[in-house]
Amino acid sequence: MLDYAEAIHRLIEELRRLPGIGQKSAQRIAFHILRMNAEDVRRLARAIEEVKEKIILCSICQNVTDVDPCRFCSSDARDRSMICVVEEPYNVAAIERTREYRGLYHVLHGALSPIRGIGPDDLKIRSLLERLRSGEVREIILAMNPNTEGEATANYLARLLKPLGVRVTRIATGLPVGSDLEFADEVTMYRALVNRREM
Amino acid sequence: MHVIRLEVVGFRNITEEQLEPSPGLNFFYGENAQGKTSLLEALYVLGRARSFRTPRLLELIQHGQPQALVRGIVERRGARAELAIQLSPRTRALFVNGKRRTLSDYLGHLAVFVCSLERMDIIRGEPEHRRHFLDEGILSLDPKYAHTLEQYQRILKQKNRLLKLAAESGDPRRFIEEIEVWNEQLIRYGALIHRARIRYVELLQRHLPADLFGSERIAIRYVSSLAAHGDVSEYETLLAERLRVRLTAELTIGHALVGPHRDELAITFDGRELRHYGSLGQQRSALIVLDLAQVSVYNSAFEEEAVFLLDDVDAELDRRRIARVLEYLHGRAQCFLTTSKPEIAEMSRPQAMLFRVEAGRVVPTPPPAREDEMNRLPEQATSPREISS
Ligand SMILES: [Zn+2]
Repeated sequence: MLDYAEAIHRLIEELRRLPGIGQKSAQRIAFHILRMNAEDVRRLARAIEEVKEKIILCSICQNVTDVDPCRFCSSDARDRSMICVVEEPYNVAAIERTREYRGLYHVLHGALSPIRGIGPDDLKIRSLLERLRSGEVREIILAMNPNTEGEATANYLARLLKPLGVRVTRIATGLPVGSDLEFADEVTMYRALVNRREM
Repeated sequence: MHVIRLEVVGFRNITEEQLEPSPGLNFFYGENAQGKTSLLEALYVLGRARSFRTPRLLELIQHGQPQALVRGIVERRGARAELAIQLSPRTRALFVNGKRRTLSDYLGHLAVFVCSLERMDIIRGEPEHRRHFLDEGILSLDPKYAHTLEQYQRILKQKNRLLKLAAESGDPRRFIEEIEVWNEQLIRYGALIHRARIRYVELLQRHLPADLFGSERIAIRYVSSLAAHGDVSEYETLLAERLRVRLTAELTIGHALVGPHRDELAITFDGRELRHYGSLGQQRSALIVLDLAQVSVYNSAFEEEAVFLLDDVDAELDRRRIARVLEYLHGRAQCFLTTSKPEIAEMSRPQAMLFRVEAGRVVPTPPPAREDEMNRLPEQATSPREISS
């Protein structure tokens, strides 16, 4: 037997599948939506649909974008000799906020984690190696999260990249170990970037 | 450091009890299975954020309750702190003065040590129990070590999964590059663990009250699983070398064969390995001696008292030995002892506080009335509420 009418129940179930949302939050959000006016609800639904329809991965850096190549990859203002490699698209935002970094990005979409079934083939590594062919890139900054998975991924990439004659650096882990770049403030992130070390 | 107040809610068979122990000696007495050991366990959980009886949180939560709560006020060098730990079936939440803390920030507020027959595995069981005993001692000196252990365990788990995958893949050598990056971190954290344990065993050996019970000598020695293969003082180099040599074996067998998770603490009694050759009596004595040494190491590192829990004291020791142990702990620890024999507890009056434990309830026993007061004071039991308010 259902506690709620079918449509409400279905919405709660869908919301519950999202990360970080349990039964209680799902319920709260569902009833909030129910109380919203119809136009706001339509706008929310449209936003959800559009993100799936219009957002693609940049064919160069693998970041999420609505144009290909993305704004970073096609910009004349960015330093093309540097690539900062991150785990997730939202890490790009954290680094951009520092206003210190003017180079390009590469998004791996994850980190090595055998427990979660993620190996090198599941990350956007091949497309990173392809970008080095032009010879334009002189430094690769590895900005993986300061946890065991991020560290393993950085070490793995360093092994691949160094023989290719490119300078490989790792952002300084003044960031607390086990943390996520997502939660680093601008000052911490800035220091991590400036104090990056040779790998 | 001592506990001045303890509150236990929905923990094992204890529905809700509070008590205000003596800073010196405290006895929980009563029939078996009434909740005496659960009170010791609650104190241990309050300090260590884990139990000495089970790794499963679920067992600690009273049947039918959604969660358990242990709260205590600890006085340390004149300052008071409120510690609280909330246990749910899958998680535990740690609080200091009402603020949520991580494990390494929580540990270190209450240094608690326990001696219980339920821990005989330290003497007789597999090496992991002895490694754990050491890690526990190191944590009492350096709570940040919790992070090192967590990292190592996580790396090991990742590596083991990868090795299993490799062993089952039919082409294990394809995984070598990936395994090596986990090994890099395994070496870093493995070396930290190795160094911490070596240093702790030295301290422990120096503080062993080895002749507490007579002339027999207890000695301990850390035995690195790498010792037979080279110089352990160059641990990183040696570990890296062993990982290289054993890689093929690891790939074949499908789990990690090299690292401090294979080390051992050797315990000898008069030169003979206690685990195999000691009598039950010698093994029990050794357990107490090792637990007391942990207290002593703590005392000298921080120049303050710890909290010591001794479970089922009369099963462990005869009266002469009980007296020796209490004498040793005097000035070193606030003590909590359990016994099924009230006369053992009475023996330590009037310095000791006695709590009768019955069906999960705690009833403090008033101090014995002096003779001249006997006629004036009617006998009455004080309820726990009255003493705590
Ligand atoms: Zn791009």
